[in-house]
Amino acid sequence: MKVELVNIGKKYEGRENFTIRNIDLVIEENEFCVILGPSGSGKSTVLRMIAGLASITEGDLLFNGKRMNRVEPKDRDIAMVFQSYALYPHMTVYENMAFSLKMKKERKTVIHESVLEAAETLQISEYLYSRPSEISGGQRQRVALGRAMVRNPAVFLMDEPLSNLDAKLREHMRVELVRLHKSLNTTSIYVTHDQTEAMTMADKIVLFDDGKVQQIGAPTEFYENPANLFVAGFIGSPTMNIFHGKMNNGVFRTDNDLVVVEPKPEDAILLKPYEGKEVCMGIRSERFNAGLAEKNNVTVKIDVIEMLGKEQLLYCKFPDGHEVVISEPGYFEYGVDEDHDFNFDLDGVHFFDADTTLRIN
Amino acid sequence: MSKREKKKNDGLYLSDRQPLTTAKLISLIVSYILLLFWVFVIVWPLAQIVISSFNGNQSSYISIGGEYEFSLRHFSYLFSETYFWNWVVNTIYIAVATALLTLLIVSFTGYAYSRFRFSGRKASLMAIMLLQTVPTFAGITAFYTLHSIIAAVIPGFTRQFFLILIYAGGGIASNTFILKGYIDGVSTELDDAARIDGCGSLQVYRLIIMPIARPMLAIIALWSFIGPFLDYMMPSILLNDPRSYTLATGLHTLINDSQNMHQPVFAAGGLLTAIPIVILFIALQKELVSGLSSGAVKG
Repeated sequence: MKVELVNIGKKYEGRENFTIRNIDLVIEENEFCVILGPSGSGKSTVLRMIAGLASITEGDLLFNGKRMNRVEPKDRDIAMVFQSYALYPHMTVYENMAFSLKMKKERKTVIHESVLEAAETLQISEYLYSRPSEISGGQRQRVALGRAMVRNPAVFLMDEPLSNLDAKLREHMRVELVRLHKSLNTTSIYVTHDQTEAMTMADKIVLFDDGKVQQIGAPTEFYENPANLFVAGFIGSPTMNIFHGKMNNGVFRTDNDLVVVEPKPEDAILLKPYEGKEVCMGIRSERFNAGLAEKNNVTVKIDVIEMLGKEQLLYCKFPDGHEVVISEPGYFEYGVDEDHDFNFDLDGVHFFDADTTLRIN
Repeated sequence: MSKREKKKNDGLYLSDRQPLTTAKLISLIVSYILLLFWVFVIVWPLAQIVISSFNGNQSSYISIGGEYEFSLRHFSYLFSETYFWNWVVNTIYIAVATALLTLLIVSFTGYAYSRFRFSGRKASLMAIMLLQTVPTFAGITAFYTLHSIIAAVIPGFTRQFFLILIYAGGGIASNTFILKGYIDGVSTELDDAARIDGCGSLQVYRLIIMPIARPMLAIIALWSFIGPFLDYMMPSILLNDPRSYTLATGLHTLINDSQNMHQPVFAAGGLLTAIPIVILFIALQKELVSGLSSGAVKG
């Protein structure tokens, strides 16, 4: 099902301002859409509005072009997986999964078949007659998924479903959720604050901050073409290095001239209007090349080294104390407190307008 | 109280607590003495009631230390010379009706105050709580008038029924608070899940919240049930026919004047009164053990 949000806004009772406003978003049929954002950005509010658990103050919510603003949650053909799983504690796993169909007054044999089928897919057949309190966190998570699957929904909503699992299981479930999404042929909307989840699972990411959409696009677009400084800082680990400076004769300079970068010709054209103005330059840690080049070099002192095996993260300092993170292959030899030269890979340099924080190149 | 666990495990000290110092040992002994004294104060009178009620040598007054002769004389007096059966039936009728009515009303109010936001929510909650501080007995004249007005319109409205309303109404405020507090502790994500699964507000309560809140509902039911067994004042004023008395009021007639003094019979009646309450307690025991809601959310 195609889900459309047209100029959606939400104002909670007793609040002065709109929590979110002017949200426009189109989620295509069978798309895996991840709504990403820091806590308090309004991402859960959006999901709750799509689910019908929160009312829509202004704008329209369309499912396949049909307005759903005032439709009851149960009639929206959706299913939702909650962060806390929200399993009914007094029912067995089987009863939990059968509950929605039972409410629909489905025939017993039909219920039984669909519960068994979902249990089979999720490998929870063994625990069907246990109560939620008797099974582990990962199994509860599967039951919560199963409960949603049994409804056979057109839209699958997930509200940070993996945040209560341990790291190993989370990694495993990420893959499994994507697989599940493909096999179910549904539209999935997934809310998370974890950019790794977003990057690995999504067909489309919607990044929220401060009640506004910051960028919509595929994961690679987010990484390679962040739309503004917030996106640049939010996506990617380690965080992108940002330098504040000015354009001077077509060259980017920080205030104390420690970083001087001459942009590549394509960027130089776009940067022309910013001559003499404040500009931020961003570069990811892996876009530093070791050693000296003809130009665009920096010399930094290594402060801390984080060895990750295949690569190492060098936490370096400029003479003025400004910090920068550089990643280099694990087999390069570096020592703490050594001075090293690096040069900027101009294809990986991002320029942002310091006033509007918007991307320039 | 601290329990010392001295297990003879090759002389290893296995308790997680630090070994007792002399000062701690003395304070421990003192607390045990205090506890034993407390137990004595509670148990001794109860024991006297049990013993006296089976003692055939007791006459109108209970005397302690006399001859003991086992007999069921006081019990047979109770059943043959008084309206004891009527009192039992009346009390159980009033108690059950009170418990059910309280549960029904408190279910609605507790759920509504916990889950819904409406204007006057806080103010009304405070208002019922403040009204609660006025003792029920202060309204006795108003109750009289109220009853005669209602009885004039609805002839079948008995005084017993009025008593039920007074008991149930009296318990609503505090029980609402208790239940609201308990339901507040149940994750609202369960409500959301149930709503998506197709429940309306009442179904959310009946199918999801109520089963989870069962331990608390059981306690509320138990207390509302016990109330009519303990209260002697309201029925003695409101009810005028000895046949319609409750147990507390009825038994009181056995000790309230020296002409008709039957203290051992009173004791026997008191003993029997405990039976329905004990039965209910045993029946509800499973519900009273909470912990059902564990595992609802993460873990």
